[in-house]
Amino acid sequence: MLVLKGVAASPGVSIGPAVLVPGESFAVARQYVEPGEVKAELQKIRNAMQKTLAELDECEQKVLSTLGAEYANLMATHKLILQDPALKDSVSKKIRTEHLSAQAAIFLTLQELAANFDKIEDPFFKERRNDIFDVGKRLVNNLEGGKREFLASINKPSLLVAHNLYPSDTINLQENQVIGFCTDVGGKTSHTALLAQSLNIPAVVGLSTASKDVQSGDTLIIDGENGLLVINPDKYTLANYRKIQRELKKTEALLKTINHLPVITEDGHAIKLLVNYDPHTDNKENKRLITDGLGLLRTEFLYMNTPTPPTEEEQYQMYLSVAKRFDMRPVTIRLADLGADKLPDFPLDEFDQDENPFMGCRGIRLFLKNPELMHTQLRAILRMACEVPAQVKIMIPMVSSVEEVRHVRAAYDQALKEIEAEGKKPVNRVALGAMIEVPAAAIALDGMIHLLDFISIGTNDLIQYLVAVDRVNQEVAHMYDPCHPAVGRTINQIIQTAHKRNKKVSICGEIASDSKMLPLLLGWGIDALSVTPRMYLRVKNNIRNLNFETCSDLAQAALLMGSSEEIRNLIEQNNKNEDS
Amino acid sequence: MIQQDIKIVNRLGLHARPAALLAQTAAKFSCEIELAKDGVKVNAKSIMGVMMLAAEFGSSLQLTTNGSDEKEAFETIQKLFTDKFNEEF
Repeated sequence: MLVLKGVAASPGVSIGPAVLVPGESFAVARQYVEPGEVKAELQKIRNAMQKTLAELDECEQKVLSTLGAEYANLMATHKLILQDPALKDSVSKKIRTEHLSAQAAIFLTLQELAANFDKIEDPFFKERRNDIFDVGKRLVNNLEGGKREFLASINKPSLLVAHNLYPSDTINLQENQVIGFCTDVGGKTSHTALLAQSLNIPAVVGLSTASKDVQSGDTLIIDGENGLLVINPDKYTLANYRKIQRELKKTEALLKTINHLPVITEDGHAIKLLVNYDPHTDNKENKRLITDGLGLLRTEFLYMNTPTPPTEEEQYQMYLSVAKRFDMRPVTIRLADLGADKLPDFPLDEFDQDENPFMGCRGIRLFLKNPELMHTQLRAILRMACEVPAQVKIMIPMVSSVEEVRHVRAAYDQALKEIEAEGKKPVNRVALGAMIEVPAAAIALDGMIHLLDFISIGTNDLIQYLVAVDRVNQEVAHMYDPCHPAVGRTINQIIQTAHKRNKKVSICGEIASDSKMLPLLLGWGIDALSVTPRMYLRVKNNIRNLNFETCSDLAQAALLMGSSEEIRNLIEQNNKNEDS
Repeated sequence: MIQQDIKIVNRLGLHARPAALLAQTAAKFSCEIELAKDGVKVNAKSIMGVMMLAAEFGSSLQLTTNGSDEKEAFETIQKLFTDKFNEEF
């Protein structure tokens, strides 16, 4: 038995025989044809192009209905590559003048084109060589009779192991009895990973050596929950995973039935369950979710890769389209959390690259030094709130002191006054709240809570600052621990301080979708959670299966514990009791 | 022949979608349309050619149109650039 650790790209567990995908570089021999055959070769190319175009058309439609416009655009790009004069001209020239076979002409053309892309430094443009080869592979496949021989040869449910998979491969997986896949390369947000998620096939990527360690026919377990690949598991592991698999299947079926049900514990305690929203990855599946609203709209992307800051009008239009997407439900927009790893390309006032950026000028600190940026964003949000009946909330990132809140309040009042002077008025009062992610703000929250309408705990950064651990640093990453007693006590303190003033508290970090932490968060009295669309129904289901009274007891007990280990044992013990 | 420099003002530069839009638009004209950057010259009707320029925002390209409908082609393509390829919110 061998276990490899990679990146969990798409959830679920699959068990089955391995099928190893042959290396990605498809090589074609340099074959020549007789001068009399040139015409026939050219006709072959035309036929294959036509067939490939029809295939891509079909693919585009399929993608549009399952994954949304963003990915459909990818297929549209592939269609253009196929019809590109640079490809056509070079291929027909090679056949006409060099008498190369159709396959060889395509292959050599692709190699020449790819060589140009290899010279590019920008990683985005460099990556496009993959798209070119993807189209080329389809074309050659259709030239050879269009058997799609590799995937089509899979005749029983199998797990695919590849060095790398092209997006178009991924789209066709489902029809070809592929019940899971893993790759050596790729990250959580690679195209292939995102496609796998929307196809509901478990996937693990970034395994480095999987395609070398696995042989076709090996029994594999792909654990898309934990990012593991188990090669030839022993009896015990196999039995264990079969049990997990049965449970997951049950949950999966159940999840679809709870979409319209309220977010409420079995003993009647209700909380709000919101969704984190990214306009770039919205799709049909996400739109079907019935949610309590948008809990976190990040806005940094508006400021990235642009020579000038986004205008008020640009922002207004974007916020308006988001609010419309969420209909009448509440919408929470976070002021741009720029700085640290998100630096815009346009110049900023009083800004030097920090030595220690996560403790430097980021979030509201950066906005207060560039007040015109904040003013524009506040105005855009307030203007949007004049047009929609939804409840609109503004969230301030990286607050560490009451003075900062006071400054933002003043800027908010100023922007509102201007808009009212222009004859407009928000339909509902726009709430102003703070992200609590700096320990100082958590501890001294009582000094600023009167200026805030709501609190949102940004647990990813809060934990990082509390335990002084950079999650990206491999040396200390294991010390990033949501179960650390300091984390629970801080979250509890924030909630209690806010509740004394009748202010609501939500959480929008990864901890919100962590099933282990969920009973504790509920027990401490959290009012709302905001999670990714993918996790939404799972979290809802978990909440519906919890007992609030038990959660409260558990949460109180955890506050008295002095080590992560004790807290972890407490949670595990509770899970066991629930199971029996 | 019309030749002039144009600047890329959309955030993501000539990435896949703008490159596609540019190549599609160029293909509608019968004149020759070329883009040049850092000494590399490509056919604007070729999406691969356009992507090969790896033109990021803020960079400058030389647009050349040559043929019967060169004026209309030049203006249409120039407008694509100034309108940021209709991609910004």
